[in-house]
Amino acid sequence: MSYPAKLQQIIDLFEALPDEEKRETLIAYADQAAAQRPREGETFALEDSRKDEECTDTVGVFLAVDADRKVRFRINLGPQVQTLTRAMTAILCKGFDGASIEEVMEVPADFVPRIVGAQLVRQRSQTVYYILTRMKSACKVWLNRERAARVD
Amino acid sequence: MNHQDYAHPEALVSTEWVAAHLDDPSIRIVESNEDVLLYDTGHLPGAVHIDWRSDLQDQVVRDYITPSEFAEVCSKNGIGPDTTCVFYGDKSNWWSCYALWVFRLFGHQNVKIMNGGRDKWVAEGRPLTREKPAWPRADYPVPPMRRDAEIRAFYEDTKKHGEDGLPLIDVRSPGEFRGEITHMPEYPQEGVLRGGHVPSARSVPWKTAVNDDATFKSREELEKIYTQGCGLSPEKDIIAYCRIGERSSHTWFVLTYLLGYHKVRNYDGSWTEWGNRVRSPIACGE
Repeated sequence: MSYPAKLQQIIDLFEALPDEEKRETLIAYADQAAAQRPREGETFALEDSRKDEECTDTVGVFLAVDADRKVRFRINLGPQVQTLTRAMTAILCKGFDGASIEEVMEVPADFVPRIVGAQLVRQRSQTVYYILTRMKSACKVWLNRERAARVD
Repeated sequence: MNHQDYAHPEALVSTEWVAAHLDDPSIRIVESNEDVLLYDTGHLPGAVHIDWRSDLQDQVVRDYITPSEFAEVCSKNGIGPDTTCVFYGDKSNWWSCYALWVFRLFGHQNVKIMNGGRDKWVAEGRPLTREKPAWPRADYPVPPMRRDAEIRAFYEDTKKHGEDGLPLIDVRSPGEFRGEITHMPEYPQEGVLRGGHVPSARSVPWKTAVNDDATFKSREELEKIYTQGCGLSPEKDIIAYCRIGERSSHTWFVLTYLLGYHKVRNYDGSWTEWGNRVRSPIACGE
């Protein structure tokens, strides 16, 4: 299975790192998650913000699709979202930038342990998959809308 | 808040108290979180990290580490048998209570919780650092045994407890208790086949014991919930459970240290064991 080119570069980087550096790089990506928020003046084809009442926090997914069907994601995270999920947010926003809607939809989740390492993907850190699921959901909704518009 | 009103006021300290004791060599500040990387993003100066999964649980059997492994966890973190361990963490101190409970399983005496946990410390603008401490290695003697029989309950204990009509407290969210959901809202499934609760269990969500800032409610408020509201009392034999034992550790701490109940056990197998186990009976609804 091939991944979008930018995501593949990130996967390659992590796979080459020893565990301690992997951890430090994840923290560095987590620090960059705030920069993935929607910016002043940006417009989006789809916005989806939801809150989990007991454990996590609000996650807002903002999807822009250009005329060539290439995506750009922005994500807004509440303050209680886990560090690993923050890291994955920055990784996925960068990794999917410029990919097609279909490429995002087809990305399997098996790259997550390759980036994060098997030690960190475990019970109560499974929300690391959550952002990917939400991004794919946004793409699916966008595609359904596009298909419906064509039928109309 | 005045901690002196609690049954064991020495078991709870404020953020101010911790700030004044950061350099005290007889004290070790211990961070335990659900967020696996949170400690690495910044922690209290001098705090060590003890992870509920990789440090405290056996990596092959679903059980806790052995006494000799516990001695090694303590020794490498500069914790001796007389060290006072002050636990704090995320999620309203779920995992710090869990770590404290495991320390008590091995008989470590001097344990405290920082009221309000990590969020309160951060909200007050107190310092965090990414520098990992280098405390000198301690020499923790291997505890003679793990005190499972005293503060831990297993499936068979819990089953008999319910059948005997003894108090059984389910501390999960109401939706989990009623069996409407088998996972926490919008959280991934954590591997349980059936929703519901242990027959005869009473729903008292852990959250009822805390204020909005994650500090514990006053003794008077806690007595209204547990003593007057549930008919519990210090002499009763009580078992608490949740999904994997962390939220029930929180309630175990409340009942044991803040209200002074003498016999409270944590069923750490909790719903991920009970809900999956062949031939285990369940109840749904209220």
